[in-house]
Amino acid sequence: MAPRIFIRRRDGRIEVRLNDAGRTVVRDAVRRVVAAENDVNDEWHATLNGPIDPSRDQDDPLLTLARQHDVSSNAELALMTVDEPFLNDGEAWAWLSTLQVALRATAYSHGLVNHERVGAADAGVRGEIEMLQLLLFAIADVV
Amino acid sequence: MTHAFIPVPILGHWNMVKLSRRLATGADVEVEEVVTTRTTTETKRPWNVVVWDDPVTPMSVVVVIFKKIFGYSNNKSTHLMLTVHHEGRAVVWSGERERAEGYCVKVQVAGLQCTVEEAA
Repeated sequence: MAPRIFIRRRDGRIEVRLNDAGRTVVRDAVRRVVAAENDVNDEWHATLNGPIDPSRDQDDPLLTLARQHDVSSNAELALMTVDEPFLNDGEAWAWLSTLQVALRATAYSHGLVNHERVGAADAGVRGEIEMLQLLLFAIADVV
Repeated sequence: MTHAFIPVPILGHWNMVKLSRRLATGADVEVEEVVTTRTTTETKRPWNVVVWDDPVTPMSVVVVIFKKIFGYSNNKSTHLMLTVHHEGRAVVWSGERERAEGYCVKVQVAGLQCTVEEAA
């Protein structure tokens, strides 16, 4: 039986049982999201800024700004708590959202837009994706 | 001394009011304003929040996101997730445009691919 990475305790807190390698994966992913949100030339930037309403030529700037603010806030909260032994619900949600954003950005920046392409992807990229998926499976169990 | 008979019109209340207005404003012509109010009820079509499939997001994560953002039950969230998975997309919420856009932003912030569209 695989060890559980996140455990919901009786007091409501979520215990994080990640070793240094696991925390490094999370740290790298959330740092990358923060960087991509602020850098229009980053290859993840386009994934983080998809259209809200494709029927309009340009999305509402206020909505786009709200999304950027929320993505950055979640990623920064995840970064601040990456070494914490316990998370509260808000922090766990920030981890889940940011890891999910990182997962999609990783896949799309490598052109993995369908199941066939994911299956045929380079082993290194597939490894990155599977690592993030594993973390997401584990945290979705306790959020 | 001759007493000439000068007819004095007897003014009714309404005439007095009109005369007072003329004197007070100096207007020669009275303008009556008629205000007509017309109420039109327009039926607006709802806006849909559409979530799109992607090849890497774990199913359990999609369920958690639907539960958290829309407050749906586990069954409804699972049903919507399976619709996304099998049909490539699913309408997860319908209603007023501003609310639809707000939900869309929340879903995007949670890392899913999402757009809004006017219902057909």
